[in-house]
Amino acid sequence: MMLALEMYRSPAKYLAAKAVGGRIPGILTGPAAPLRLVTINEPKAERDGWARIRPILSGICGSDLGMVTGATKLYFSAVVSMPFVPGHEIVGELLDDCEDLPKGTRVVMDSVLTCAARGVEPCEGCVTGNTNRCDRITVGHVAPGLQTGFCRDTGGGWGNLMVAHRSQLYAVPDGMSDERAVLVEPLAGAVHAALRAKVEPGQSVLVSGAGAVGLFATLALRELTQAGRITVVAKHAKQRELARAFGASDVVAPDEVFRGVRRATGAFRLKQDFSGGEFLLGGVDVAVDAVGSKDSIDTVLRVTKAGGRVVLSGMPASGADLSPVWFRELEVTGTYASAREEPNGRPAFETALELAGRAPLDGIVGARYPLYRWREALDHAHSAGRLGTVKVAFDVRAS
Amino acid sequence: MGTSLVKFGKDTARDVKQVARGWRWGRRPQVPRSAEPYVIPKETTVFPTKWARTPAAIAVRDLIQKGPLNAVLNFEVSPQVSGLDSLLKLDGPAIIVANHSSHLDTPLLLLSLPDAMRRRTAFAAAADYFFDTWWRAAGSAIVFNTFPIERRGGKMSATPGDLLADGWNVVVFPEGTRSPDGWVQRFRMGAAYLAVEHDVPIIPVGIKGSFAAMPRGRGWPIPGRPAVHVRYGDPLRPAAGESARDFAPRIAAAVSALLDEESTTWYESRRRAAIGASPSQTGPEAARWRRVWESTRPMRSTDNRRRAWK
Amino acid sequence: MSRPGFVLEVDDRTPPLLVHNGEGFLLERFPQGTRVVYPPEALPPVRDVDEAIQNALLNPIDSEPLPELLRAGMRLTIAFDDISLPLPPMKKPDIRQRVIEAVLELAAQAGVDDVELISANALHRRLTPNELREIVGERVFRSFFPDGKLYNFDAEDRDNLTHLGQTRHGEDVEISKRAAESDLLVYVNVNLVAMDGGHKSTSIGLASYKSLKHHHNSHTMIHSRSFMDHKASKMHHSAWRMGEVLTSHVKVFQIETTLNNDIFGGPLEFLQKREWEWSIKDQASFLATKRGLDVAPAKLRHKIFTDTRSNYGLTGINAGAIEPVHEKTIEAVHRQHLVEVQGQSDVAIMGVPFVGPYNVNSVMNPILAACMGLGYYFNSYRGNPVVRKDGAVILYHPVDYEFSQLHHPSYVDFFEEVLSESTDPATIEAKFEKQYAEDPWYIHLYRTSYAYHGVHPFYMWYWISHALDHCGDIVWVGANRKTVERMGFRSASTLSDALEMVSHSVGRSPSITYLHNPPHLLADVR
Repeated sequence: MMLALEMYRSPAKYLAAKAVGGRIPGILTGPAAPLRLVTINEPKAERDGWARIRPILSGICGSDLGMVTGATKLYFSAVVSMPFVPGHEIVGELLDDCEDLPKGTRVVMDSVLTCAARGVEPCEGCVTGNTNRCDRITVGHVAPGLQTGFCRDTGGGWGNLMVAHRSQLYAVPDGMSDERAVLVEPLAGAVHAALRAKVEPGQSVLVSGAGAVGLFATLALRELTQAGRITVVAKHAKQRELARAFGASDVVAPDEVFRGVRRATGAFRLKQDFSGGEFLLGGVDVAVDAVGSKDSIDTVLRVTKAGGRVVLSGMPASGADLSPVWFRELEVTGTYASAREEPNGRPAFETALELAGRAPLDGIVGARYPLYRWREALDHAHSAGRLGTVKVAFDVRAS
Repeated sequence: MGTSLVKFGKDTARDVKQVARGWRWGRRPQVPRSAEPYVIPKETTVFPTKWARTPAAIAVRDLIQKGPLNAVLNFEVSPQVSGLDSLLKLDGPAIIVANHSSHLDTPLLLLSLPDAMRRRTAFAAAADYFFDTWWRAAGSAIVFNTFPIERRGGKMSATPGDLLADGWNVVVFPEGTRSPDGWVQRFRMGAAYLAVEHDVPIIPVGIKGSFAAMPRGRGWPIPGRPAVHVRYGDPLRPAAGESARDFAPRIAAAVSALLDEESTTWYESRRRAAIGASPSQTGPEAARWRRVWESTRPMRSTDNRRRAWK
Repeated sequence: MSRPGFVLEVDDRTPPLLVHNGEGFLLERFPQGTRVVYPPEALPPVRDVDEAIQNALLNPIDSEPLPELLRAGMRLTIAFDDISLPLPPMKKPDIRQRVIEAVLELAAQAGVDDVELISANALHRRLTPNELREIVGERVFRSFFPDGKLYNFDAEDRDNLTHLGQTRHGEDVEISKRAAESDLLVYVNVNLVAMDGGHKSTSIGLASYKSLKHHHNSHTMIHSRSFMDHKASKMHHSAWRMGEVLTSHVKVFQIETTLNNDIFGGPLEFLQKREWEWSIKDQASFLATKRGLDVAPAKLRHKIFTDTRSNYGLTGINAGAIEPVHEKTIEAVHRQHLVEVQGQSDVAIMGVPFVGPYNVNSVMNPILAACMGLGYYFNSYRGNPVVRKDGAVILYHPVDYEFSQLHHPSYVDFFEEVLSESTDPATIEAKFEKQYAEDPWYIHLYRTSYAYHGVHPFYMWYWISHALDHCGDIVWVGANRKTVERMGFRSASTLSDALEMVSHSVGRSPSITYLHNPPHLLADVR
């Protein structure tokens, strides 16, 4: 038996969260959270290639929060299996030998449950190394679930024990701290996004959002591409500071985006009638949305130059106005998780591990909570930006 | 809303306090020393008193005079009025001229006049004393119907003439200020000039005893209900072609004669006046104490009514 | 009867003194011994303005009378000062209207058909049709505006600029083509302060960026000491040299007018009275106005101030050749503004009011507030600055983070981008000026909307470079800390805090001078 946070199906709580969550944020991590701390059976690692892992640190990701707060769309309900233990940003310790990795190795995990983990014939995505595009995420000998942390059978990082397949695991070099290692998964996502953005040398980039996703995307863009001017939209003081440290050329406040981008790119700024909405003619070559909100997506679509690329890196909300996509012939690129074979020919996780080793990431994990203080932890994560925190993590061993 | 109201109140109080302290509300405004050379000498702003002669103000004044003022005056002093029948010889506005030795003179004169005439009487008051602050000006205007004149001579403000033309009686103390010792001082020409200019008669009035009752420097009459005498004389008219310079001594003489009459009898005083031997009312040429001594010599009281409790 | 300006020494009898503070004002008790410079009171105005105008046009200085210069078939251009003068704007009718009407009357008599009127706004924003109408009057507006014969100068319209040559210092003289090719250019000026007028009217008002950058740069402007004394201002020297080139090509008939200090009328009259002479009514007006402004919503408060119109009396009008006319003008301006001040002091204090030349009908953003205080007021001296070298300047203004996107689009960027990188005028100039001057968007807005040219905020910053160079400390009282810090200054909540902050450089009991303007003054520091 083990202690874990379990997400369960509760239409009543879901509706409550939808109805009043916007006005009373406290309710989302309080009574309306479809989450409970329970003692449940440990997941089993009986098949080949699977091993048990004791999580050390387990991050709270935006998508986790989306699940808890009901912001995630029903679209995803078909690719998860309730009840499950969330948590896919982990650094943990192997409790069993796993093929070439001996017991006791510290590992990080690419959470996508691909064909290899499910024991089915590789699909087209997996064959080409685009493991994040795997089409078999609901079949095989593991319950449906797009990732570990959304699957009934594997357990997740927010529990004392979980299982993972060798194909998901990467050994953490000795000497890298747990605090850095737990960031490898989101960094891998950022690496993926940066490479998907296909920034050409000298191109201007806008990163909208300076939470973990935005900041890591900024870091990855600066490290992996030859982007020219990188403008980051940041709301809070600490975010501004970090954005600069991660390679932003300039940082603007959310209500300053049009002004800042216009100035940085020499674009023309237009105001539409009645609504007071604005857009640019001209603008950045590539814009990365790292928030997912309607406002943020609207903004990036409107400040990207004709023929430019918009990368959606946050889980997108509905309702954005797509007129610029049509009129400005924008290329909209989604980026989800990370692939085993990125355009640079290497698994995103390897690149991410390197980045985690050298980037100025100290203090990025700004708060650690034991599992039983999960409400505080989620509440903290929910307003992390305002509190000057980038990443909140569960300190699973302390639980 | 509540807190913003409170804040507004507090801020207002703060600002008002700052202005009140900065501009010394209730006290004299001051000029920084270094700015003194640049101060424009103040134009004598004549306090407007026209409002004090509107029917409403007259009604209010009537109430004040017949009510509290009359009561207080009669309680504190015992006025003796004579010669009122002289006023019957008037057929229009007149200038009332009296000697002046006390603040009592004004209410004494006023309250001794017949009501109809009293309501139509205005007082010339020194602009620099009675009209230097708005509250003193407004107060004296409503109670005594004062209007400002310049006592330093020179330009006389236009109002007395206008008032006379409008049918108002005007009271002038031609000495210009209260006597320092009770004796009559030199009369200025203003009243005579006015009379000649506007061809109105002058009513001379002698007031005796007010100095003893409430001299300069006292704010209230002395205790003991002192007697004060007010004696009206016959109207004087400037003769045809008489100049103010010639007329003025006649006025002074008439007042002196009235004062003489007050201390003797009518007939004696007339006799003395006829031979030009009215005793000087300017007092003996002597040390101040002797002049004061002389002017405050107690008068025989003509009040023979016994007080009820005696 | 108007009294001369003088220097008050604050003593224990001095009431608290009025300090302008953006869209509002306050009373401040200055330390005893503080010197307060008061401007002369409003000079008596010319009684018959129309007669004075006629007289100036018919008896010009060093020039033929205007009627002799006008003939049928000629090209006549009338240029006039834009909305940045006078401050606050003038009650109708504007003096420019009366002068232009008189000039046009003569032109009509002479049968001149080809007449154009140009607002000499250089890199300032275009004037709206309503603003043009306010300046030239309904009659002129109706006659010329619909045909496009009354318009704003466009310094970016390459097709309509003429390069007249270079000065002996190699400065380009490039001005409005229409003006350059006219048979007669009549310039109608309003000379509010000593900085205006002279060759600055034509050589700067009608010039392009190419021409302006020769004198509107950090080097020249730091050596203009002060702008209010054209004989000691490098910027004016340059303009004068350009004027020589210009007048050798074009016949210029300069008309300069001077106004008196009658700025605040009606219930606001107390603003131009000396405090110890405030009547009860003035005190009540002060309290009522201050309390009213305090509770008024920001928008209403802004409207109240924006709608302020001043009486102004005409104190003189001179016409003819630029230089002798300007001599006379300066004399009149000095008569109205000059106050003799003995010696410099350690600290200068100034209250920045609600309006400056570049925010008429707009908001005073932080850069303009700095320019108003450290550009305009700091430079309001002749001889030496009021404050000694390395002394301190204390300013009053809220310095809110507030920009007009319509009028000052490049200012926001300048504030956010340029000032966060550097506040040193020379560094800024080298790194950013060209980018901003050539940004197509700013040029577009300048030409078609109502925006100041992209480079204009740089000029504001160069303008204060003399103050930045001269002063040790610059502290703002009651200002938004963030905006002030971005500009490289410091903020204090009260005057005593400010004096405390500067005490390390000027000591515990510094000599202090407070410049009590507006109304405008020019400190003649001996």
